[in-house]
Amino acid sequence: MKKVLLAVLAVIMMTVFGFSGVLAEGTIKNDLVIGVAQEINELNPMMQNDQINNNCFALTHERLVFLDNAHGYEIYPEIAESWEWTDETHLVFHLNPNVKFSNGTPLTADDVVFTLNRARSDDPTLSKVSGQLGLVTDVSKIDDYTVQVTTSAYSNELIYNFGSYPLVIQSKAAYEDANNAEPWLIGTGPYTFKEWKEGQYVTYTKNEDYWNKENRPSYANEITFKFLLEASQRAIALQNGEIDVCVDPPVTDLRFLEDDENVTVHTQAGTRLFYLGMNVAKDPFTNEKLRQAVSCAVDKETVIAIVLDDLGKWQTSVLNRGAWSFLDNDQIEGYTYDVDRAKALFEEAGYKPGELTVELFTPTDDPYKTIAPIIQANLKEIGINVDIKSMDQATLKSECAAGHQQMFLWRWNIGARVDETYRELFYTGFPTNYAQLSDPVVDDLADKVLTEMDQDKRLQYSYDYQNYMAEKVYQVPLYVPDLVIAYNKGLVVSDAYDQPGVLFAGGGNHFWARAYVEQ
Amino acid sequence: MFRYILKRIIILIPTLLATSLLIFWAMDLAGGDPVDQILPENATYEQKDALREEMGLNDPFFIRYFRYIGGILKGDMGESYITHRDVFQTFMGRLNMTLLLGGSALIFACIISIPLGIYTALHQNTWKDTAAMIVALFGVSMPNFWLGLMLILLFSLKLGWLPSGGTGGFQYLILPSVTVGLGLAALLTRTTRSAMLDVLRQDYMTTAKAKGASRNRVIYNHGLRNAIIPIITAIGMQFSYVMTGSALAETVFGWPGIGRLVVDSINKRDTPMVTGSIILCCVLMAVINLAVDIIYAFCDPRIKAQYSGKG
Repeated sequence: MKKVLLAVLAVIMMTVFGFSGVLAEGTIKNDLVIGVAQEINELNPMMQNDQINNNCFALTHERLVFLDNAHGYEIYPEIAESWEWTDETHLVFHLNPNVKFSNGTPLTADDVVFTLNRARSDDPTLSKVSGQLGLVTDVSKIDDYTVQVTTSAYSNELIYNFGSYPLVIQSKAAYEDANNAEPWLIGTGPYTFKEWKEGQYVTYTKNEDYWNKENRPSYANEITFKFLLEASQRAIALQNGEIDVCVDPPVTDLRFLEDDENVTVHTQAGTRLFYLGMNVAKDPFTNEKLRQAVSCAVDKETVIAIVLDDLGKWQTSVLNRGAWSFLDNDQIEGYTYDVDRAKALFEEAGYKPGELTVELFTPTDDPYKTIAPIIQANLKEIGINVDIKSMDQATLKSECAAGHQQMFLWRWNIGARVDETYRELFYTGFPTNYAQLSDPVVDDLADKVLTEMDQDKRLQYSYDYQNYMAEKVYQVPLYVPDLVIAYNKGLVVSDAYDQPGVLFAGGGNHFWARAYVEQ
Repeated sequence: MFRYILKRIIILIPTLLATSLLIFWAMDLAGGDPVDQILPENATYEQKDALREEMGLNDPFFIRYFRYIGGILKGDMGESYITHRDVFQTFMGRLNMTLLLGGSALIFACIISIPLGIYTALHQNTWKDTAAMIVALFGVSMPNFWLGLMLILLFSLKLGWLPSGGTGGFQYLILPSVTVGLGLAALLTRTTRSAMLDVLRQDYMTTAKAKGASRNRVIYNHGLRNAIIPIITAIGMQFSYVMTGSALAETVFGWPGIGRLVVDSINKRDTPMVTGSIILCCVLMAVINLAVDIIYAFCDPRIKAQYSGKG
C-alpha cells in the first residue's frame, strides 16, 4: 500500500513540478525573465513616457540615435548613421539605408517624418509627448534617407530627445494599413512583441530577421517582464530561480540575497533625486532666510540611513547626480545640516520657535511616508511645526500644479538633458514648476545653458545655475538612491554600449536587448 | 421561484445606481486632476486643456455622472486612464483568475472544515474539540498576507517545492489557495460545529437513533442535512468576501485577480477602472447571494415552498 501511495505521489510531483524547468540551448538560457515592480501600461511609444514601458520599447523599436544612459550619456548612431547642425536652426539626419521593420519593409525618411510629426501633435489621442519637440517647427524629407528638422532656436540638448524611447521610429505604412489595429507594435528592434497578460507579464520574442543582427546580435530567444509588485516576493522568486533579475529588491532583504551564492547584488549610483519642495510664491516660503533655515535643519544623512539603509547619496545641487556638469557636495556652497545655524537663520527670518506651522504635502506611498516624519522631527527641533497631509500621487501633482502647497515631497528623474531639471522644475510658468518660481536670473541661466554654443561658457552657466539655486534654496535636495539590482549570477552585464549583455542605467532605463544568462 | 429571481434582479437596479453614484462622487471628491495622471508629468498646459475638454472633465458633476451611466447602458464602461484598455474586458479578464483562486480556496476550506466541524461537534468538550477550536481561532485571527509570506518562505525558499507567486500550472495555485482557504476553513469549522451541535440536540435525532439508524446515517442524513443551511450561508458570505476581498493575498502571490486590480486602480487614481470594478463587484456579490438563496431552496423544501408562495 505504501509503495502504491509513493508511486501516486511521485506521479503527482512529476506532473506538478516536472515541466516547469527551463529549456537550455548551448550555454545560453533560452529566455530571460525580469521581475519588475511595475506593470507596463501602454504599447504605443508616443502615448507615454514611463520607465517600465521604455524598457520594453528598447527591445522592439529603435531611435534615431542610441543614447547610452549607462556610460555618461554618450550618443551613438542607431537608425541615423550621422547627423549635423547645418546652421543654428537646422538639424539633419542621414539614415542608415539598411534598416528594416520587423514586418520586412525598409525604413525610409517618410517613416521618420511621419513619426516625428505625429509626436509633435498637440492632439492627446495621437501623442502625449509633444512637449519633447516643443522647439521643432518643421520636419521634412530631403531624400529617401535624409531628414531635416527645423527648430525655432539652437539647442544643445535637442539631439538627446531623438534618443528617447517615446520618439522611436514607427512604420508609416503600418498606420496606413486599415487592417492593422495596433500599428505601433511594428518597430525595427531586435525583438517583437508576443503577449501582454495583464497583471502577469509581457513577453517579447527574438526577431530572427533583425536588420542589424550581424553587428548587434541578441541572445535570449524570449525576454519576459514579470510583474511582481511585492518586493519581498521578487527577491524570493529570484532565489527560487523563477526569475533571472530582481529589479529594486527590498533593502531589508539585501543581506539574504548577498549571502546567496547564486545571486549577484549590483549597486551603482542612481540619478533619481528625492527632494523637499517649497511653494516660494506664497508665504511663508517667500522668505529666503526661512528657506535657508529649513535647509540647514534637514538631516539628510539620517534620512538616507533610515529610508535606504545608507544605499544612497545626499546632495546640495538641484541637478540630478550623474548629469553633465553636476556639482558634488564638495564643489558647492550650500545650507547643509547644522541645527545651530538653522535656529539662527530661523530667528533672522523673523520667527520665534513654535509660532510657525506649515503644511507638508506628501504622497501616501514609500519612501515619502517614511521621509515625512523625519522632516517633521527635524523642523520641530528649530521650532517649526509641520502638519503632514498625505495624498495619492495624482492628487499631489494636481495640488502642487495649482500652487496649494506650502511644502511637499517629490522626486525628479532626468535622462541626459539638464534642461529637464533647469526648465521643467524651475522655469517661469512651466507646468511642473511646483515651486511656483519666477526668477529672471534662473530663467536666463536655463536659456543660456540650453542655447550657448561655446561649451566652456555653457559649463560655467550650469555651475552658476547650481550655485545660485543652492544660495536661494528654492528647493532642498535630499538624496539620490543607489540603483540596486539583484540577478542570477549567470546574467551577463555589459560594460560598453556595443558589447553583449545588459546595460544598467542609474536612472532605470536599462537596455535588455542584448542581455542573456549563461548557464 | 422565477418571480423571486426577477424580484431580486429588480431590487438590484437601485442598489447599483446608488453604488455607482456614491463611488463616482467619492472619486470626484478625492481631488486631483485625472489629466495629471494620464499625461506625462511634463505635458504642456495646452495638452492638458485639450485632454480635459475631450474627456468632458470641465462639465458639472451630474452631467459627467449621467454620461457615465448612459455609457454603461450602452455597454460601455469606459477605458482605463492608465492602460487605455476597456474596463469591462479588463475586469472580466481578471475575474476568471479570482474565480479560480476563490473556488479552489473554498473547495480546500470545505474539504477541511466540514468534516472537522462535524468531528468536533461529536466530541464536544473533549480535548480534541478544544484543540481543533484553538487551531480554528488561530486560523481566523491570522492575517492572510502573513500566512502567505510564511508559506512562501517554507515551501518556495526553504524546500523549493512550489513557485513563490505568479500564474502558470496547478503548482502556482497551491499556495494562494491554501493561504486564502485556511482562513475560510477556520470560520467554516466553527460554523459547522455550532450548526451540528444545534441539530444534535433535536428530538428527531434521538428518534432516528431509537429507530436503529446507523451512526453515519444519523449524522449525515439527519444531522448534516438539517445543519446545512447556516453552513451554506457562511460559505456564500465567505465566497463573496473571497471574490472581492483577496487583494492582500493576490498582492503577496502576484495573482492577477480583481482584488489587486481594484487596489492598484485606487492607488493610481484610475477612476473609470475603480468605478467600473466596484459596480461589477456589486453585481458579483448580488449574483453570489442570489445563487446561495437558490441553493437553499434545493437543500430545504420548506424554503422552496416559501419561494413558491406555498409555505
